[in-house]
Amino acid sequence: MKSLKILILLLALTWPVFGAEAFDYEKIYKEATRYTVIVTIETEVSFGTQTTDIKSRGIGTVVSPEGLVIFDGRPIDSEDPFSTMAGMQINAEPKRIEIKFFEGKILTAEFLGIDRYTKLGFCRIIHEGKEKFPYASFSDRKKFVIGEMLSGYKLLPEHISPPLAVDIGMVSAFIQEPEEFVLTLGFGEGELAAVLYDSLGAAVGMLGLMSNAELSSMTPEQMMSSFENMEGYPPLVGVITAEKVRKLIAEPPRKGEVKRGWLGIYLQALTTDIAEYWGLGTKGGIIVSEVVKDSPADTAGLRTGDIIIGLNSQPINVDREENIAMFQRQISDLGEGGKANFEILRRQDGTIDTLNFEATLTLAPMTAAEAADYEDRNFEFKVRDMVFADFNINNLDRKTFKGVVVKEVETGGWASIGELFPGDIIQKIGGEKITSVTEAQAALEKVAKDRPKEVVFFIWRDNKTLFLNVKTDW
Amino acid sequence: MKKTVLALSYLTFVFAVATAGIPPMQTEIYTARDKVLPALVHIQPIITDFRTGKMVKQPVVGSGVIIRADGYVVTNYHVAGNSERIICTLFDKEQVKAELVGGDPLTDIAVIKLELSGYNGKLTVAEFGDSDSLQVGQYVMAMGSPLALSRSVSCGVISTTDRFFPGETRLPSGERTGIYNNWIQTDAAINPGNSGGPLVDINGKVIGINSRATLFANNIGFAIPVNIVRQVVDKILSEGRVTRSWIGVKCQALQDLEGWFGTARDEGVLVASIDTRSPAEKAGLQAGDVILAIDGKTVSARFEEQLPAFYKLIADHPIGAKISLNVRRGDQVLPLEVVTDELGKILGEDLECKEWGFTIKAITRQMALDNQLDDTLGVYVAGVKRVGAAGDGGLLKGDIIREINEAAAPQFTDFYNRFQELVENRTDKVLLTVRRSGNTKYVLIKPDFTQASAKPTEGETN
Repeated sequence: MKSLKILILLLALTWPVFGAEAFDYEKIYKEATRYTVIVTIETEVSFGTQTTDIKSRGIGTVVSPEGLVIFDGRPIDSEDPFSTMAGMQINAEPKRIEIKFFEGKILTAEFLGIDRYTKLGFCRIIHEGKEKFPYASFSDRKKFVIGEMLSGYKLLPEHISPPLAVDIGMVSAFIQEPEEFVLTLGFGEGELAAVLYDSLGAAVGMLGLMSNAELSSMTPEQMMSSFENMEGYPPLVGVITAEKVRKLIAEPPRKGEVKRGWLGIYLQALTTDIAEYWGLGTKGGIIVSEVVKDSPADTAGLRTGDIIIGLNSQPINVDREENIAMFQRQISDLGEGGKANFEILRRQDGTIDTLNFEATLTLAPMTAAEAADYEDRNFEFKVRDMVFADFNINNLDRKTFKGVVVKEVETGGWASIGELFPGDIIQKIGGEKITSVTEAQAALEKVAKDRPKEVVFFIWRDNKTLFLNVKTDW
Repeated sequence: MKKTVLALSYLTFVFAVATAGIPPMQTEIYTARDKVLPALVHIQPIITDFRTGKMVKQPVVGSGVIIRADGYVVTNYHVAGNSERIICTLFDKEQVKAELVGGDPLTDIAVIKLELSGYNGKLTVAEFGDSDSLQVGQYVMAMGSPLALSRSVSCGVISTTDRFFPGETRLPSGERTGIYNNWIQTDAAINPGNSGGPLVDINGKVIGINSRATLFANNIGFAIPVNIVRQVVDKILSEGRVTRSWIGVKCQALQDLEGWFGTARDEGVLVASIDTRSPAEKAGLQAGDVILAIDGKTVSARFEEQLPAFYKLIADHPIGAKISLNVRRGDQVLPLEVVTDELGKILGEDLECKEWGFTIKAITRQMALDNQLDDTLGVYVAGVKRVGAAGDGGLLKGDIIREINEAAAPQFTDFYNRFQELVENRTDKVLLTVRRSGNTKYVLIKPDFTQASAKPTEGETN
């Protein structure tokens, strides 16, 4: 009786593997073409003083009757670690999103945001009133089998009609570390955000990227050296499970709306070597390498040198730098006001104490891409508020140092001729102290009203201050 | 008809040249050549470089010129300043060894002394001219070893007498340079290998030391004016090094900003930036102040070409001197007094930690300022070998090592002693506590005792 149960279970688990030939592509195709759309995004990308418009075209999926669409968010991802490399910031501002349905209807959509981890982008179709859209609904598959075939859709080049082609891929590995991920073989990066179907025709998830934790935890210097050494790996694609997708649909990311929790520590993985050196009988952990003053960690009593070995009763076994991002995500996901109970080891006077702390997380500091900005059309440049990272990278005092960061400079504009550069921090405009984008805007608007022949900016650049006379030509 | 006249006049010219024998101009060039060319030295130092995490010895080629009959030769700091051994070839093709006497990266000047015990020839000594009376268009010769081709002469004119390079200029080894001088620009061909060789005027006087050229350009070369060279050489010969006063200000040309700061034309020098913990900061000087006079003497820098001379004026004060400044701040004119400090070395001494797989530099105050460090505690990681103990442990170039096995090592000597001790004891695990982008990191190293370490090397003598 027991063996029969096991047999049935085995059959149930392995059934789809044998079912590869049983794909009813006709049915899947018919189903998919109801809600699969082609998303064309016009984006203005600026890198340093260079600004160009790019157009990207990819698969999208309508996931709610109200017209929520998920697409590959990478072309417009300003938080991409590659783009913030070496202090350079790529700003990617989607200007227009066009949604083309398979049956020919074309609508525009409003950009919502990009999920930081899966890099799936979200937008909402702009429509009047009560129109309901056909949308993908996902089945509840949690288990997959290695060797199981999945089907998805590939977008063909623009001049080919019809635009979609069936593609199949295989579940190739269940990755455990640094994060749980169902890896597939056969699907390409170009199919990201396509719905995946099993042999029964059920939509089991979406094709997504395994987050490159290694890259996202790297400092710019480390990233540069990893390029020099030609390390790293090609992007890995696989199933973003229905459960995850549903969570994202329920609360799609919104640009400028930060909900991430923040603890306020810098961290390092407790490698086996260091654990051994300190005589700790643990496998992995997080070494607190710095506590930000007045942060939740500071208030809770965490100290530099503490080793976090547990979070909310779950062990923390991080023993490689590459896996730190997973701990950061856990903290981030707890959200503002989230409670984090830490079990830590504290080494002092030759003894090792185990202590517990509770920290109440605050809202994560904004990233440079999220910070409020202002574009001045006269000087043809864009400034933004200073963020936590600006102070940190430049070793500036958060309490006393004030200014706004030059985000973009249009080549040939007054600001560019006056030799303002992206990354400069403006501290004064025409003698007025500037501490925020609002003040910068007010000062620049006053300049526009008074129309002086020149405006003196007092800026910070490379750890030195400088006066710039920006000539105007009203 | 016109063409015929032209052709005729051309022929006449050629004829005239041929009949008149050697033209006077050519004679002058020969005379000038003979005064300096025999003093030219082809220099082949072996320089040391620590930037890749190990000490790399590298043969380079440069030029120099004999300035004293007892064998002193002036060359560039970037040729011989970090050298281990130097071999020189004199104009008579005889080879002699030489030793470094001293160098000054800030002006890119070094002095070496020829070892003449086995040399039977007679040295020719070149004479220095006056670089303050140069003229654009004036004939000059560059002498040296372009691309290692020794005893080469090229000819041209002075293109500009006061070329200024905005931004920071650094030597290949990483030292800052060119703060206290403008450059003579010439179209006499200067190529790699010409470095350290003389730029000679038509009277056979050295008016500059050739030191850099623009790559991918046609004949845009630069020489350090000899009046700067003379002072630096004198200091190296008398004291072995060049000391300078420092107050910690960065200034800016006032052109374009006079209206804003309410100064008259050619009045004052604008203070753009103040270094933290500097004498200027202590004295209460602020960014936006306009220095009108130093010790009662008016100063001005309307153009950026005037800035090096202003910096030099401060640097030339004795260390610890009280400088009285007249400063315009807004509508007021304030008297301020700054007590100078020694500028000190720009870069600290180097050490290769072979067993640990990286190189370090002592942290000087100027390095701390450049790298935005709060203090000079610890040692600076100058390079990490890609495959090696420290590389495996995750040490990065630019890390500041503060502790070894959780014991503080605030100074270079502390680090050196501790390193020696741990290597002698064959300690197989070393925990380094480092500062990286303002954070603490722990790096565990498993030393490789198949490597053997070298003694520390004096990086830069300033």
